[in-house]
Amino acid sequence: MENFSEVIEIFFSLDNFLAIAIGVVIGVVIGSIPGLTATMAVALALPFTFSMQPVAAILLLVGIYKGGMYGGSITAILIRTPGSPASACTLLDGYPMAQQGHAKKALKTALYSSVIADFISNIALIFFAAYLAKIALNFGAPEFFWLICFSLTIIISLASGSMIKGLMAALLGILLSMVGLDDVFGSQRLTFGSYNLMDSISFIPLLIGLFAIPEIIEFYRKKAIPHIKAKASGAGLAFSELKRCMKSIVRGSLIGVIIGAIPGTGATAAAFISYSDARRRSPNKANFGKGEVEGVAAAEAGNNGVAGATMIPLLSLGIPGDVITAIILGAFMIHGLTPGPLMFQENLSLIYALFMGIMFSSVVLLVVGNVAIKYFSLIADIPKSILFPIVLMFCVYGAYAVNNDTFDVGLMLAFGVLGYVFNRAAIPAAPFLIGFILGPMFEDNLRRSLLIGSNDLSIFVRGPITWFFIVLTVGSILLAIYRYLSTRRELRAGTGTGDEAP
Amino acid sequence: MTTSEPKRRVKVKDASDVIAGVVLFGFSVVLIFYLVPNYINEPPILQSPMMSPQWLPRIVGWLILVFSILLILQGLLVEGSNEEDERTIEKGSPRRFGLMVVALAIYVTLFEVMGAVFCGILATLILFVAHPVRTWWVYSLAFVFPIVVTFLFVEVMNVPLPMMPFWF
Amino acid sequence: MNKIINAAFSAVCGGVLALTVSVSSAVAQEWPTDDIRLVVPYAPGGTTDVLSRRVADLLQQELDANVVVENRPGAGSTVGTGRLARGGRDVDHTILMASPGHTIGAAIYPDLGYDPVEDFVFLQNMIDIPNVMVVPADSPYESVIEFVEAAKEENMTFSHSGVGSSIHMSGELFKTLTDTNMTAVPFAGSGAALPALLGGDVDVSFENMPTVLSHIRSGDLRALAVTSAERSEYLPDVPTLSEIGEYNLDQFVTTAWFGLVAHKSFPEEAQSVMQDALARVMEREEFLDFAEQLGAEPGQVSGEEFKQFIADEVERWEDVAQQAGISQ
Repeated sequence: MENFSEVIEIFFSLDNFLAIAIGVVIGVVIGSIPGLTATMAVALALPFTFSMQPVAAILLLVGIYKGGMYGGSITAILIRTPGSPASACTLLDGYPMAQQGHAKKALKTALYSSVIADFISNIALIFFAAYLAKIALNFGAPEFFWLICFSLTIIISLASGSMIKGLMAALLGILLSMVGLDDVFGSQRLTFGSYNLMDSISFIPLLIGLFAIPEIIEFYRKKAIPHIKAKASGAGLAFSELKRCMKSIVRGSLIGVIIGAIPGTGATAAAFISYSDARRRSPNKANFGKGEVEGVAAAEAGNNGVAGATMIPLLSLGIPGDVITAIILGAFMIHGLTPGPLMFQENLSLIYALFMGIMFSSVVLLVVGNVAIKYFSLIADIPKSILFPIVLMFCVYGAYAVNNDTFDVGLMLAFGVLGYVFNRAAIPAAPFLIGFILGPMFEDNLRRSLLIGSNDLSIFVRGPITWFFIVLTVGSILLAIYRYLSTRRELRAGTGTGDEAP
Repeated sequence: MTTSEPKRRVKVKDASDVIAGVVLFGFSVVLIFYLVPNYINEPPILQSPMMSPQWLPRIVGWLILVFSILLILQGLLVEGSNEEDERTIEKGSPRRFGLMVVALAIYVTLFEVMGAVFCGILATLILFVAHPVRTWWVYSLAFVFPIVVTFLFVEVMNVPLPMMPFWF
Repeated sequence: MNKIINAAFSAVCGGVLALTVSVSSAVAQEWPTDDIRLVVPYAPGGTTDVLSRRVADLLQQELDANVVVENRPGAGSTVGTGRLARGGRDVDHTILMASPGHTIGAAIYPDLGYDPVEDFVFLQNMIDIPNVMVVPADSPYESVIEFVEAAKEENMTFSHSGVGSSIHMSGELFKTLTDTNMTAVPFAGSGAALPALLGGDVDVSFENMPTVLSHIRSGDLRALAVTSAERSEYLPDVPTLSEIGEYNLDQFVTTAWFGLVAHKSFPEEAQSVMQDALARVMEREEFLDFAEQLGAEPGQVSGEEFKQFIADEVERWEDVAQQAGISQ
């Protein structure tokens, strides 16, 4: 290791530490404001990095990325407003926990599982980058298609209560995701001539609308109840609980790493796959969705496991897996560096300095996160009558800021009403969201495969990866049907006696 | 929506499921037979039916149709489980709800015209009145937050928000 | 902060002396009298956005005025562009970073509501990025001729970053000119398209130079040609398509261009101030370094020449879109 001293020299400069610290703080703060996303923060910080040293510049952006990933979960837990699509999964259990007075516990769970997942993900980046990059290259459209099919089966496990309603929600999500220009032919689909709809429905207004607004509507529909003055922030996370979640966290992190290494899948899918996996295995399955610590842990582990791993295709292949890494790629290029195989030969010491910085950012996240929790958990103590009007204001500003367009404000409120109707009709919103995210990926990869294979269907079974996911998909469906039938039988026996009681 | 009186003895086990099912059934019919053929252009030459932009919307439409029938059947035949309890809420006064609707309407209609600060203040005030919040100093928050947050968005983070027309 | 004090001051004066005074004082004063808005019709993070932020940063220093970047993404840049075309109150302080979406958008979207040529004044073409015709490293085709001959026999697939992108349209243009069998395979952005090319799932692509430059250098991709009029200094051994001289390819010259435009009512004084400032920006070391990182050449045309270039582009892409069946 002859360039060890060089690595140390590049890494140990005050600028780098400052960049990481500032980055993480900015990320957590911006990520925790509804409507402002880590993506936006990274893009806005980009011009400031022009004049910085390359390592410090990249670390600033990486810090924002990681901070933002965690910051999104803060609002998801406290006010049911996911800061990013990935944290939509965290709110499924995080928000109920906060409502039961365990806001602090939920936030701590999210933080620790984020940091652990981040750490595992970074290890994977440093030691297995070359290997994982190979998987990414073997992941063509047909492989993607089956991965998406497998991911779609998690809807079944997320549809708590009625399977029919869960699937219905997913179908509606898929349908809405198809609004906009068709990817292959460029023809318009259900846009009704509106320019605002041509680029498909914006994500952030949909998210905020679907989850945050129904809470507000419901609050004002209900009779005013006096605020119960309690230290709602509650106790922290006991070590035994963290230990209980550990398996889910590690499994979630690994799911995140694999998904992150494949460009274009994204943290949201990882979070939901990890969540449904944890739920499938957990002994207290019934508590999922009602404030289960393990649910928060699994979701956050899944989405943060992605963070380090998305750097794998970026650094080793020069392929950005999502928008944020695309911006980071831009930052590399501005500083005269081109990520890809050549960078490992030409700038190895710089890469190692970067790795050290990325590892260090996990530690910073832990510290900053802990401080943030201390203050943010106070939000849970604010009476809803004061909190909700201000939350609504943030939601509106945030929805507008995404595209600088009032149309999105209207869109957000429309989804708010839809979300409210869903609540009333007991239709779960999570499958809707998954359908919305995965629907276009399903269709695109199906058609892409057909185009690549010149309409020859054998392309769908072209290799071991496709078979692997076919088996997973079929197994997942069979398992769900088996579970459904057996709980049905139990339920029938259960309600039979329940009816006699009154 | 919470009209299903528990005392009334009717065959329908879960009225809201039936309503939802009927609405979705109607929607899917409109989707399959009107929206998809009229609002999704199909290119003249297609190598495979799966390539058509209409393919997936059509399939989704038919699936919604099937599931809506199942939902109606479920509402008619299956006894609502205990989740029913979570759905019933104690309704507040219409004034409270009405004021909230007004606040939402303000955001939609006036946001571009009157600016973020104005709408933020007005809507927040209305929502405070709607609850009603009785602590007087809280009302000052309705002014502080929109102004401070707008300043942060616009000046610090360079995220433009609409300004009042006389704020050149 | 200065801006707020200024605004307060002029509001006090204006309130007393009526509007005419403030209007005339605005004329008397050197343009710019206010912050300049640079509209980016794409989401943050793309090439257009990064370039715009770099330019805004430098322009700010040259003009001694704030230049605020504003993203108004949507429908392949036509949402943001349409908004500028419709005008508005600060139209005399608003500029827009236009790119191939400006001309291609006009070709593929129905009723834009604006004229991509006549509704704008054209300030300066900032940079030109050539596209590169690349094949995977293990592809049997060593030259454009070999590729075209093979594509006449069997169907080839080419990847692109989205309907109406310059990558897509370059592919369609190639197909039309050479009269070969090629199928477009769409991906969501270049990032997603690249693995398919590297893994050999598609046969060819006409990617933007900066996306593939490092892969060409590392030998993972083979460059068959560049699409610019002259050879690129970054790939001096790679011929241009127009050099090939066969299969009508001499007509194949296209680059991803990026340039600043403004509303047609942009004051003439402002135009000259702006053009001078931009010319100075383009001489700056920082700008040239930046362009080099993108594998780009500094833009050549400005003013009327730039306008003519746009008019020609619109016409060309309309033809291509029509033949490819993507014009709606």
